[in-house]
Amino acid sequence: MLDYVDLEADLDEEERMIRDTARRFVEEKVKPDIGDHYEAGTFPEELITEMGELGFYAPNLDGYGLPGVGERAYGLLMQELEAGDAGIRSMASVQGALVMYPIHAFGSDEQKERWLPELGTGDAVGCFGLTEPQHGSNPGGMETRAEADGDEYVLNGSKTWITNSPIADVAVVWARETSAEESPIRGFLVETDRDGVTTNKIDDKLSMRASITGEIGLNDVRIPEENVLPGVSGLKGPLSCLTQARFGIAWGAVGSARDCFETAREYATDREQFGGPIARFQIQQEKLAEMATQITTSQLLAYRLADLKERGDLRPEQVSMAKRNNVRMARDQARIAREMLGGNGITTDYSPMRHLSNLETVYTYEGTHDIHTLVLGKDLTGIAAFE
Amino acid sequence: MMKILVTVKEVAEVEDDFEIDGLGIDEAYLEYDLNEWDDYAVEEAVQIAEAGDDVEVVSVTIGPERSEETIRMALAKGADRAIRVWDDAFESVDLLDVAAKTRLLAAVVEKEDPDLVLTGVQAADDGFGATGVSVADEVGFEWAAVVNELDLDADGGVANVRRELEGGVEELTEVDLPAVLTIQTGINEPRYASLRGIRQAQRKEIAPMSLDDLGFDASALDSPIALTGMSEPESESDATLFEGDAEETAAQLAEVLREKGVGAQ
Repeated sequence: MLDYVDLEADLDEEERMIRDTARRFVEEKVKPDIGDHYEAGTFPEELITEMGELGFYAPNLDGYGLPGVGERAYGLLMQELEAGDAGIRSMASVQGALVMYPIHAFGSDEQKERWLPELGTGDAVGCFGLTEPQHGSNPGGMETRAEADGDEYVLNGSKTWITNSPIADVAVVWARETSAEESPIRGFLVETDRDGVTTNKIDDKLSMRASITGEIGLNDVRIPEENVLPGVSGLKGPLSCLTQARFGIAWGAVGSARDCFETAREYATDREQFGGPIARFQIQQEKLAEMATQITTSQLLAYRLADLKERGDLRPEQVSMAKRNNVRMARDQARIAREMLGGNGITTDYSPMRHLSNLETVYTYEGTHDIHTLVLGKDLTGIAAFE
Repeated sequence: MMKILVTVKEVAEVEDDFEIDGLGIDEAYLEYDLNEWDDYAVEEAVQIAEAGDDVEVVSVTIGPERSEETIRMALAKGADRAIRVWDDAFESVDLLDVAAKTRLLAAVVEKEDPDLVLTGVQAADDGFGATGVSVADEVGFEWAAVVNELDLDADGGVANVRRELEGGVEELTEVDLPAVLTIQTGINEPRYASLRGIRQAQRKEIAPMSLDDLGFDASALDSPIALTGMSEPESESDATLFEGDAEETAAQLAEVLREKGVGAQ
C-alpha cells in the first residue's frame, strides 16, 4: 500500500488500529459488491448501521456515546472509506460532519440527547439542506424561509443535491428567519415525516451512483421552536459544517487516488504485452512515478491539516487549499490509472473509472473547485472576486 | 464469577513473493497480524461474556513489544485485560517449541485459575497445532480440540461441544470444566473492533510477565528441536486449461472426471 514517505510509520497505536479496522471493513464489506451497487445506482443500506456500530459517524466528537478520537484518526478513516468508494465516505461525512457536528456544536441539550446517540449508531439517518435549485455557490442568496407563528415556525422552500434525503429521518435545514430582524440564516431540525416535507430522489446521476441523492421540499412545514439550533446565526453556521466535511474530503481524495494507483500498479505488473509485463515500459513507469508523487504530496497536506485541526489552528482557507488540491489530484490521477488498464479499465471490474466518475461530484460538491480558487484568491490578496 | 483465558499469538504473514534469509524470511516480506484462529477464540469468549453476567475475559500472549498491538486488538474487541509474557532471554531463541510454550502458558493458567481456556486450533505461521492440548495435559484440565460449536453450561460446569474430525466426521461431546478448547475457524463471525472499543482498549491493562515472574529461568526455553533449514517447497502444478464456451468446457471436465473414476459404481 502506497505510503511513500512513511507517514504511517509515525501513527500511534490507536491510529494504526483504526486504519486497519477501516481498511479491513472496506476490503470485506465494501469492495466485493460496490461495483454492482454502482451499476445499479443503489447504496449498500445494510452498511448504515454496521458503520454506526463501528463508530464511523463523527468519531472525532465527544460525549453521547461517541468515541472522541483524534483528527488524524478521523482523517485516516475517511481515507480508507473513500478507497472503497466516495459514496461510502460521503455517507459518513454527511452523517458525521454535516448533521451530527452542527447538533453537537450548536444544538440544545435536548436536541443533542434526542439525536446524537441514534445518529451515532446509524439507527437514524440525517441529511443537510443548504443548496437550493437557484443558489449553489452563493448560499447567502437562499430563498428558503422560516416564519415564526406563535411557538412554531413555518418553513417554505426547496433544497437540492441532498445526500441521503430520501432515506433521512431528520434534515438540518438552513433557512432565512424572515420574522426576525435582518432575516438571519438559522439552522432548523426538520423531521422528514412532518406534513409538507417531500424528499424526492434524483435518479439520473452519472457520477456518485452508489450514493442516495435527493431534494427536500418544504411546503408550509410546521416545526416547534425547540427545533431551532440555538447556538448559531448567520452563514458561518453552515460554512463551519462544510469546513469539517471538507477536511474529510481532503483525506478521502488521497484514499481514492491510492486505490487507483494500487490497481494500476498491480495491473501493469500482471498484464503482459510484447512478451512481458507492461510495467517494464518507460511510459507506464512515468505514469506510476508521477501518480505516486502526486498522491504523496497530497497526503502530506492532509497530515498537516490534521495537526493544525488537532491544536485548533486550522483556518477554513487552508481546508479550501487542501480540498481543491487533493480532489483535483485524485481526479487527474484516476484518469491516468484508467488509461493504464486499457479497455478493461472501463468496466466495473476495476475501480479507477468508478473513482474517476465519483470525483466529478467531489470536484463540484462542498464548494466547487473554482470557488475554492476564489476563496484562496481572496485570502491571498484581501480582495474578494465573488462579492 | 467465571473467568475465560484466551491465548493469542501474533503471526507473521508472508507476501506472495518473498525471499528466504538464512533460517527465516526477510522482514521486508512479512506483516504481523493476530492469528486467524485466535480471532475466533477471542470472539467466542467475548460472546460468552456478553451473554452471561460476571464473566471476565483475560487474553495472554507470548511475544515481543511489537505484539502489544495484536493483543490490544483483542482488548478492543472486548477482552477485559491482557498478559504479555516476554523476557530478554527470548531474543536469542530461534524456535519456541510446543514444550516451552506449554511450560509458560501452564504457569499463567495456574496463576489465573480460569474456568475455561480457549486457544486457536493452530498458528498460521509455524502451525504446530499442539499448544492448546499440550497445555491442558500439563495443567490437568479436560480438553477438546478443533471445536466448531460451543454451548456452555456454566452452572452445570459443562461445555457441550461439536468437534470437527477428519473426513467430514463430527463429534458431539461434553467436556467438564475447567477445560481447554481449541477453536476452529467458522465457529462464529469475528467482529471488527469498533472505534469506541479501540479507544477503550488504550486504557486496559497489558501486564508484562517475565520468566522470573512465572518461576522460570532461561532454561525454560530450551528445546530439543532446532531449526536447521528453510526452503520453499517445490511446487509441481499440473493444470489443464479448458477452452471454449460453458458447454464445451463442461464436456471436457466431465471427460476428465470419468477418466479419474468419478461416478463409477
